[in-house]
Amino acid sequence: MSARRLEAGELELGGGLEVLLAAALEGMPPGARLEVHTPSRSTALELGSWARVAGHASVGERIVPGGPYAVEIERGPFARVLAGPLPARRSGPPLRDGELHTADLRPGANVPEAAQAASGFTPLGAVAERGAPAFRWTLNERDALWADDVAELAEQASAAQWDASRDIPWEAARGLPDFIERAVSQVMTFIAQNEYAALYVPAGFLADVNPAYPEMLMWLASHVHDEARHVEVFTKRSLIGGQPSHALASTELSLHTLLDERDFSGAALLLNVLGEGTFLDLLRFVEHHAPDAATRAAATLAHRDEVRHVHFGISHVRRRIAADPGQAAMLIAAAERRAAKLTQMSGLSPLLTEGLTVMAAGSLQPAELARGAGDVRTLMQTMEDNRLKRLRAAGFDHRDAQHLSDLHTPNLM
Amino acid sequence: MSRADAEVRVGAVAYHPRIVTIWETFLEHFEREGVTTDYILFSNYERLVAAVLAGDVEIGWNTNTAFVALERQLGEPARILGMRDLDARFATLIVTRRGEAFEDARGLAGRRLALASRDSGHGAILPLHYLAEQGLDAASECELVRFDTDLGKHGDTGDSELRVIRAVAEGSADAGALGESTLAAFRADRVPAVSELEVAWRSPTYYHCNFTALPSLQDAVAERWRQALLAMSYDDERMRQAMDLEGVKQWLGGDRAGYESLAVAMGAR
Repeated sequence: MSARRLEAGELELGGGLEVLLAAALEGMPPGARLEVHTPSRSTALELGSWARVAGHASVGERIVPGGPYAVEIERGPFARVLAGPLPARRSGPPLRDGELHTADLRPGANVPEAAQAASGFTPLGAVAERGAPAFRWTLNERDALWADDVAELAEQASAAQWDASRDIPWEAARGLPDFIERAVSQVMTFIAQNEYAALYVPAGFLADVNPAYPEMLMWLASHVHDEARHVEVFTKRSLIGGQPSHALASTELSLHTLLDERDFSGAALLLNVLGEGTFLDLLRFVEHHAPDAATRAAATLAHRDEVRHVHFGISHVRRRIAADPGQAAMLIAAAERRAAKLTQMSGLSPLLTEGLTVMAAGSLQPAELARGAGDVRTLMQTMEDNRLKRLRAAGFDHRDAQHLSDLHTPNLM
Repeated sequence: MSRADAEVRVGAVAYHPRIVTIWETFLEHFEREGVTTDYILFSNYERLVAAVLAGDVEIGWNTNTAFVALERQLGEPARILGMRDLDARFATLIVTRRGEAFEDARGLAGRRLALASRDSGHGAILPLHYLAEQGLDAASECELVRFDTDLGKHGDTGDSELRVIRAVAEGSADAGALGESTLAAFRADRVPAVSELEVAWRSPTYYHCNFTALPSLQDAVAERWRQALLAMSYDDERMRQAMDLEGVKQWLGGDRAGYESLAVAMGAR
């Protein structure tokens, strides 16, 4: 067999020659020979040991005074990477007006039904080397996680990032009358408290998701990031006016039960569809009745994020029930289990109802207060109506939707 | 089964914490191959050699220096059960600063020659031996700059070789001896001191480490252990990391052909 020839030129070992050598030898079958020519006696003297350390053999050399020098290397039998050969190069994913969208990364939207629990961090398209340590992921099945538009939702989440320090006109929140500030601060504290739970729930699942579903990871990470910003913005709003409020025990009780749900779809129903869904109406109410531009902007921006979260929940639950109608009963059971733990809750905390009423009234005058109370009653009705619509959209029939809505926590989330 | 009941005990020198990783992995392999094996670590080769001679371990994973010392104390040929692919074709290099290389051993006369630990076959004993064969008595004709670190570990740690190349790079020596696989590793790791060094001289090849047993070890046990060693594959994902740490891609049965020079050199030392 004739040897391939490689001209090392001025390249030396440790200075780039090994890159050329590896590339040349990688493409050759075991036993094939490479004749390396170098003007450097030093390099020629070192090539043999380089070859042996790299798993090849040095089978001949010409090292004569004054040069030129040559060393013949026989490719060794070992694969550098313990994996099959890489697939041939193919055309990459399509672009949309120059943009590379997450939804376009898998040809034919081909998402595997299940992934190995032990598999590692293998990026999409990569070939995993054998011998890596085994992981123990627990969320390894597509249908238990997936929403058909999860990649698009993750895409939107990236595009819609905002900054709670700079994107809110904070100056506008200063100097409100005490009674208004007390009301706003209580509502903001309540929302921030709930946003904590909205962060911890997806965060609790995130690290269990098999890395074979990167779209899910991107989605959940964006969800967690969104909620961190919501905690931030509503905490900042409650602090900016200088008026502390209570973090209510009844709210804690409700949120505690939300974190108890360890089934992903059950949590998607309770948090995304029911909890965050109901919060959409609450945030609209705050946006509409905010006494200052900072509060309004916080509600507007948070609402924009929550729309995505609710959309995911509906999309996931609908897909889950469509694939397995028996899931509807499992999901209802999850809501019933939670409701059973919340029997001691009688209704929305009076502190919150009063805060919302004062925000809507903008005054402590009886006529305005009566109007504000009416607005809060309307809000409760709107929440109920929209909850039913979302549950129907998620695939529940009318009776089940009504049952689930009735079971929903008086705490709203 | 407790490892205390293992059929074969292998002694090795703990020149680095990775030795534990290596042997914990190797033991699993020997168990799969049906030759239960345990390992016992020593802090220096002198104690390991004594343990082999005393029968405290059946097999010693010896440097070439330890092997020659063992045979000398034994007074007869020992049994070699295997070696790494690298061990069967080892060489020592002498490096200089770029542009100061020499093509003939005599070119070193009158220069300062840095040597690795004095108990290192590849880093000190054999370069002096081969230079003498080529007409240079370095001990009298050169100024020897010795780095006798980690004595008892026969150069395994690489520390003295690192000092050698630094001495040459910094100018406190004109030339320095080190194992060729050590220089390859320094090059691969982009160790700064080697970038301005070039190889001036390469010794003839010789053997390095081997698994040594006494002649009294039962043939059947020795053969089964050797076959188990040879069955270890670099393509086995369970073994690759440990084999990389040990610097082996393929185990060889081994023989005595490559220890003659060192035996002569150590006899003359």
